[in-house]
Amino acid sequence: MEPLIIESTKSTPMVDFNAKNRILIIKGQSYPENSFKFYDPIFQWLDMFFTTVEDDDGLIKLEISLPYINTSSTKCILMLLEKFEVAEKNGRNMDVTWYYDKENENELECAQDFKEFVELEFNLIAV
Amino acid sequence: MKSRLTDIQDVLGSSGISICFSGRFSQGLIEEIGDAVKMHMESEDRPKNDIFNVFSIFVEQSQNIKNYVISKEQSPGRNRIASSATICIGQEDDRYFVWSGNIMENSDVAPLLAKLNKLVGVSKDELKKLYKVQIMSDLNPEQTGAGIGLIDIAKRSSQPLEFSVDNLDETYSRFELKVIV
Repeated sequence: MEPLIIESTKSTPMVDFNAKNRILIIKGQSYPENSFKFYDPIFQWLDMFFTTVEDDDGLIKLEISLPYINTSSTKCILMLLEKFEVAEKNGRNMDVTWYYDKENENELECAQDFKEFVELEFNLIAV
Repeated sequence: MKSRLTDIQDVLGSSGISICFSGRFSQGLIEEIGDAVKMHMESEDRPKNDIFNVFSIFVEQSQNIKNYVISKEQSPGRNRIASSATICIGQEDDRYFVWSGNIMENSDVAPLLAKLNKLVGVSKDELKKLYKVQIMSDLNPEQTGAGIGLIDIAKRSSQPLEFSVDNLDETYSRFELKVIV
């Protein structure tokens, strides 16, 4: 499966999803003009990934760092995490890490909100 | 004789406004103004949380207006609505504010006021709960007409939201929202 690589812009995060080593990275600010248009190819890639990845392929790592996200991107990130939640319930082995700026309590609060929104374990790491 | 530009500058200065835009919004403009707001606040050594909150409120308010303009693309008054958008960032009693306004069709006023009135006098904890309910709903936030954006704005504001509507004629009204961080 081809990797999904999207360069960051001022209002969209960098995306680097690699099916081979199962490391998925999403990093940067997110407040595009149309969040659903931006996140739709990411959702499609993930749907394909979770149907093709084998149980014994090993750990799937998701690394997230979102210094700022607007409300419609928040909805999209929630939809993204729900896909991981479902995959984990289906027996996939996940390791989710959420990086936040220790000087910005808003970023931590945002990550903690997501913890409340989905049943998915993730590590919070201050940088 | 005083020039009209100086008059505008005087009004901005006496209102505490440091950054102001009036006219048709674009995503590019929102990004540039957002950066200008951040840089302005960083140069004043404001806490990161304050900068984040002002930036967030600015983005939500300007994207709400922009989404409203897009929803009116088929309306005969589309140009008047699009060019009516105004957003100002400034300081009052050492607190930052984001103050925005735009022309709306009269039929859209009541639903917006209903949403805003639901947020009046609501505690931060209640706002967090409302936010969760709205974000967990199946609705696409770009189609809910500013619902979740307004809850987020209310969560980040330190004072009750100030809003008003002036009826202009039988078709249009002018809406304003001032958020103090």
